Amino acid sequence: MNDLENLDRPRTPAGDGIEARQKARVGEAHGGAAGGEAAAAPGRDAVGTFGAHRGAADPVKVLMRRHRELCERAVDPLEIAAGLEAHGLTDRTAARFRHRDVFSLAEEMYARVPRDGDPSRRPTPTADTRPRADWIVRTLLPGTLCAATLAGLHLTHGRARLVLAAVGTLAVALALRAALSRGPLGTNRARPGPHPAPGARPWICWLVAYAVLGDGLLQDAASGGPDGLPTGAADSSWPLTITPLLALTLACAPAAWSAHLFAARARHKLTASRGLEEFAASVRPLLLGTFTLFLAALTGLLALSAATVDDPAAPSQTLTLGALLFLARLLTIHGFTHAPAVLLTAAATAEATALATLFAGRLPHCDVLGIPTQTLLDTWGPGSIPTLACGAAALALLLHAFRRLTRASAHGRTDGPW
Amino acid sequence: MRIGLLTEGGYPYVGGDARLWCDRLVRGLVQHEFDVYALSRSERQEDEGWIPLPSQVVRVRTAPLWTAEEDRAVVGDGRAYGRRARRRFAECYGELAGVLCAGASGEASADAPAAEADRFANALYGLAELAREEGGLVGALRSEAAVRVLERACRAPGAPRTAHEARVPDLLAVAAHLERALRPLSLDWYEDDGLGSVDLCHAASGGAAALTGLLARHFFGVPLLVTEYGVQLRSHYLAAATESSPAVRSLLAAFHGRLAAEIYRQADCITPGNAHARRWQERCGADRTKLRTVYPGMDAGPFAEVGESPELAEPDTLVWVGRVEPTKDLVSLLHAFAEVRELRKGEPGTPRTRLRIVGAPAGAEGADYLTHCRVLAAQLFPDEAEGPHAVGDNPVSFEEIGGPEAPTLADAYASGAVIVLSSVVEGFPIGLVEAMLCGRATVSTDVGAVVEVIGGTGLVVPPRNPRALAEACVALLRDPERRERLGAAARARALELFTVEQNVAAFHGIYLEIVSRCPVPRVVLDDSGEPQPFAVPAEARVPGRWTDAATRVVARGGPSWAAGPPVRPPLSVPATGAAR
Repeated sequence: MNDLENLDRPRTPAGDGIEARQKARVGEAHGGAAGGEAAAAPGRDAVGTFGAHRGAADPVKVLMRRHRELCERAVDPLEIAAGLEAHGLTDRTAARFRHRDVFSLAEEMYARVPRDGDPSRRPTPTADTRPRADWIVRTLLPGTLCAATLAGLHLTHGRARLVLAAVGTLAVALALRAALSRGPLGTNRARPGPHPAPGARPWICWLVAYAVLGDGLLQDAASGGPDGLPTGAADSSWPLTITPLLALTLACAPAAWSAHLFAARARHKLTASRGLEEFAASVRPLLLGTFTLFLAALTGLLALSAATVDDPAAPSQTLTLGALLFLARLLTIHGFTHAPAVLLTAAATAEATALATLFAGRLPHCDVLGIPTQTLLDTWGPGSIPTLACGAAALALLLHAFRRLTRASAHGRTDGPW
Repeated sequence: MRIGLLTEGGYPYVGGDARLWCDRLVRGLVQHEFDVYALSRSERQEDEGWIPLPSQVVRVRTAPLWTAEEDRAVVGDGRAYGRRARRRFAECYGELAGVLCAGASGEASADAPAAEADRFANALYGLAELAREEGGLVGALRSEAAVRVLERACRAPGAPRTAHEARVPDLLAVAAHLERALRPLSLDWYEDDGLGSVDLCHAASGGAAALTGLLARHFFGVPLLVTEYGVQLRSHYLAAATESSPAVRSLLAAFHGRLAAEIYRQADCITPGNAHARRWQERCGADRTKLRTVYPGMDAGPFAEVGESPELAEPDTLVWVGRVEPTKDLVSLLHAFAEVRELRKGEPGTPRTRLRIVGAPAGAEGADYLTHCRVLAAQLFPDEAEGPHAVGDNPVSFEEIGGPEAPTLADAYASGAVIVLSSVVEGFPIGLVEAMLCGRATVSTDVGAVVEVIGGTGLVVPPRNPRALAEACVALLRDPERRERLGAAARARALELFTVEQNVAAFHGIYLEIVSRCPVPRVVLDDSGEPQPFAVPAEARVPGRWTDAATRVVARGGPSWAAGPPVRPPLSVPATGAAR
């Protein structure tokens, strides 16, 4: 221990560089080559191992320079103590710095680190937010396949046409599944777990099927039909409306883009904002912008499809249905599965009820049941029913999304690379 | 006696951390029954299965800590709780966050540490009670409400600067981490037939396992024994060093510090594995009177033969045994060896000193390091031969256990005249204990628990000092008598302090002491709901198991009921069969 007194005695300055240090170390070590059968006495070769370089009167300062990063980063003395110990410092080494143990040494170091309110270096998340080719292709697939199938149907007749229709439907369904499994529309990015709300899927199928078949059926039913299954012929009594189907499948791509844009921007805002309120305020316009963007894209695609297919466009019901499906997906991928499922069910039920009441009105003494639907049909046409049902549901979901998607916790964990 | 053994990522799993120690403990204490409550750390661990369990393990209950992503549907929509439960949650969580922000600055709580500790404990137990009564705590901890509460606490006046600077991602990170750390609160173990039925909880590590014991103590008054071979708080500091922002680290450090302090405060006995762990525990507020150092036990059997035959050692051979990684500082060892050869050059007979490095690399980093060391050895020491016609070889050899030169660990130690340990960082040096058990003289660096382990039975030099290492080695190589003396002393010391038997015996004694000092207060109610007097007789807690049916002796003509075992309280009727 008598070496302790000599600790801050100025040492003979030697040249800089490794050799000098090596020399100093070797020179010191001659004294410390544990000859005794017990532990080497603390204090020997003090400066050789951890201590001051030549001429340092303040060994702790040298130690601090040596572990500067650790000291600057530390949030409390124990962190410095843990770090020092991980570098092999023991209580006996600490004794050379005139401290009882590593803890008190760490406390001194913690207290001496300048903390002059400099903005702490924050790790900037460099998450890769660029879109990736695989999901872009995957989201383009359903629309392409649907268009191809429709073109094929246009060119074929009879049995081949039936087969083609079946194959096409299957292909589009599979492509949709692929588009929704991964990428910005996928729910299971980087996290295993149960696929949320599988119960909503039949209702989505129903809604889409209604968009294709429903208006024709309703029209037909109002005039006493239907007398047979839809044939797909233009002059049949139960006409099909293909445009919504084509537009909606094509809209997978803009939906994915919008969702991607929303997630990426929201994450950016998340890292930038200081408070939850601030974050919510900045996400609200973003959500509205995303939604509008998608609707605009859908409108464009709808016009395009109508022009290509040469079919009644049915814009209002397609737009509302697209909006409903997009919002439901957006909520689902952010973890809110309950409300979308409820509202999709409600919309589908409303449409089914309209149809059912119309048919029920034909039963004896039940004329009253059919009156509301009939009135709607007479006033605004068959498109009014899906428009009303989907529109109301989409509006409700939009309001819901404004409450839920502006929460920070909805975006916190969606940062896995797709 | 029924011991609830609480482990985290450990015992019954094949790849567990402390499984060897726990297994020896359980097998060593045949007279007790063990209920193992295991928290698993990863899916892989669960898939690997359990090690074979002895019959004294009555049942095993496991719970995962890793189901990272819970049903977000519940989380997101926040429908898990009713209005009252939500308010209760917000209150408790707010208290918790408040304490963390108050204590994050470290010195801020110096004026009223006890009050702050109480506040933390109340918040923690409040959450635990909420989880026990209402369930669904995971969802609540992940909800926006929790993040909002955290934000309020961070922005509150008096919160330290680091907490004030917390941004939204930081808040989310803290909330997520707290949710993970508080997962033991949501377990269904805190029931009368679960942890309520054990006489003593023995947590095999701090952190989550000890938190489970803490709650058992809170709900049922079960005494808690905490064994820590490595201090959880310290590993948290080392692990948390990466990436996250200062706000996150300060809040989490405050949480883990407070949790450790509460565990140490409530535990009836704490057994650190070495003096280093003990110092950390004292530092975190553990009462000295509760601390009892219990050294980990090593199986002395494989080393007995080598230990009893010092003549097996080759006189001029240095041996290093261990896992090859950078912290072992083999480079320094090689330089020291060069120095040794330099020093011994002038000796009569020019002894051929050899260095055997026995060990496998640990991971990719270790493999790189091993390659580096091989290159260095080849550069430093040219191959040398006995005479002009013999084939030469290198004085430094790199081997692995299981190879032709060292079929077993004991063989590796056996050939060495001196065993060298050159680490710069070391926890509890197992290799050193093995060398001691083999009765070999050792030269080690002064790191970790080395000095404590070696006592006076080997040489210790400062780390990163090849010269000192070399001189110590030469001193021993030149003096066979001293070598033998030191080796014998080391073996004696190791046999006294570091055997499985002493470890098991120590725990046996501690169990009995704890149960005799603070037994579980059990009240048995009769049919009408009144407490039943003398329902739990004193002998219900005799140390050990009831006498076996085979050895039951009844006086001839004595009453037949005397043959049955004494009455156990109905509460603690064991639910046999492993419930997974």
